[in-house]
Amino acid sequence: MTRRLVVVGVLLGVALVAPGRAAAHVSLLSATPEVQSSLDAAPTQILLRFTEPVAISPSAIRVLAADGTVLSGVARAALGDLVVIAPVSGLVQGSAYTVRWRVSGQDGHSPSGVFNFGVGVPAPPPTEAVGAKPTTWKDDLARWLLFASLALVIGPLVIRLIVLRGAVPQPLERRFHLVPTFAAFAILNVGIAAFVLRASNALQLPLPDLLYGDLQPFAEKTRFGIAFLALTLGFGVVATLLVFAWVADLHRLRLPALALSVVLASGISLSSHQATLPNSSKASELADWLHLVSAAVWVGGLVALAFLVWPSAPALRARAFLGFARLAVGLVGVMVLAGAYLALVRLPALSDLWESEYGRLLLVKLAIVALALTWGALHHFVVRPRLEAGEQPRVRPSLVGETFVAIAVLLLAAVLTNASPPETTTTTTTSAQPSR
Amino acid sequence: MIPRPETAHWLAAAVALLLGLILLSEIVVGTRVFRRRAWRAYLFPSLALGSGAFLLLITIFSTFSTMHLVAHALWAEAAMIAGGVQLAVVRGKLSSAHWSLVTAGALLVCGAAFLVHEPNPWLFSRSAFLHHVIGWMLVAAAAFPLGQALRPRWVLWPAGFALTWIVLALLLFADRDTAPIFGRFGGAG
Repeated sequence: MTRRLVVVGVLLGVALVAPGRAAAHVSLLSATPEVQSSLDAAPTQILLRFTEPVAISPSAIRVLAADGTVLSGVARAALGDLVVIAPVSGLVQGSAYTVRWRVSGQDGHSPSGVFNFGVGVPAPPPTEAVGAKPTTWKDDLARWLLFASLALVIGPLVIRLIVLRGAVPQPLERRFHLVPTFAAFAILNVGIAAFVLRASNALQLPLPDLLYGDLQPFAEKTRFGIAFLALTLGFGVVATLLVFAWVADLHRLRLPALALSVVLASGISLSSHQATLPNSSKASELADWLHLVSAAVWVGGLVALAFLVWPSAPALRARAFLGFARLAVGLVGVMVLAGAYLALVRLPALSDLWESEYGRLLLVKLAIVALALTWGALHHFVVRPRLEAGEQPRVRPSLVGETFVAIAVLLLAAVLTNASPPETTTTTTTSAQPSR
Repeated sequence: MIPRPETAHWLAAAVALLLGLILLSEIVVGTRVFRRRAWRAYLFPSLALGSGAFLLLITIFSTFSTMHLVAHALWAEAAMIAGGVQLAVVRGKLSSAHWSLVTAGALLVCGAAFLVHEPNPWLFSRSAFLHHVIGWMLVAAAAFPLGQALRPRWVLWPAGFALTWIVLALLLFADRDTAPIFGRFGGAG
């Protein structure tokens, strides 16, 4: 009986492994015109080639002009249903067009997708496809969580590696390992959520269809997509380094993890809305990165002080506070200078501050920053001298308060990052690739 | 940017087979003998953690659908977290047997992701069949680390856990999407 079972098991195994036709889930293999391409002459048809035979409806391919006019005819399948073709007419030079497609595969999945092409002009990014919706509060929330997670990776690592060098009590050491590790995993997940949200604004699909939405044009042809790919891989490496640093007591691994996180922060700033604007330059990109990194160290450092050092290492409180106070002077300097430069680039006229929505948001952010800086100055000029004199003032509630104000600053920064500066500094149609 | 699914599946299968064989070796020769060389204890968890990080590479190639992106990310993170926790247990950073509940949770999440990302019934195609088998197998296999948390000395738990990886490898080696369920014996393909 046992022998029979073994024979049947082996046969089943061989049958499963024996080669049959191997193929992927249905996905778009290629398109003519190419995804996000620029053509010299208007095409007469759209041709999509898929990895599997597909079933289609007459409106499987829709080509849309900027005003929403449908320029495509009835779609038909060809070449064993691997190719879908739709005729197009009425396309003119100097315009960009959006292709929206939806097919059904043999496996029951119904993938959909969207891309643009230009005739005599560059293709706008897929996020600006006809019918795409602008970013919403969900995008702001995702970016805020991304900023906060980045702060929780960078801040505690900076405090541990620069401010509190040398041995620390074991419980504190464990917290210094675990908080950045969890935050690195948080970045992975928030990054995926932010990427899918951003793509869904352009895909405009109900949730069940979004699950099979084609995200490739967004991943490969937009700045935020490329940044998403880099962040996912990069913070995967950061998380792995941090896990090994903790488990194997290889504390030196935290240094490359910190360095990599700081470099990857540039991906977050380069994927912002402002980085795609015409007045964006290498200097503004550098300023944006410095602004983000200094803010992340400041907020993350405050969290480390208030929630890691204070509860678990009373003997190190004064040393950590005084060390961070020295560091904070430089951080605030970089943050304010970089922020002021960026404000000048994005709001060339003073009146933009109160006449544009972006300017008004910036004013609110500046008010909260002013509150945070006043709070920090209070710590610097009142608490620091007392700690230096060997006193033990009750600081933690105040530190927690400043931390929450700093987190509110990050929220405003997230909203601003997704917002558009005044029209005079933007173009709303075409921009060079890769874009948003 | 889509790698051939066979390449990705067979790579995953090779890693799963290696993981299963490492665990099986420990059961066959006994933990005392297996861990005469200290580094051997770190083999399984390190490989699980590393393969999770590698799976993130597959994840970013899986942008052809939201579902596949999310499912691959879940598998990657589950492997990284379970591997990291097991590494900490081996190293002595975590001591309670209850930490194997993390592995149980990871198996549950992975199994659920397999089941949710397959919308077709069991006999629709080979891939549908295999996804259902793998999904339910991983969900059921969560009982092994769960049992290990409650009765750590019972050999059934590590043996079942090791065999799970080997069967997973076999199923992944066989994973083709629209091929008939039993390959050339199924009449098509």
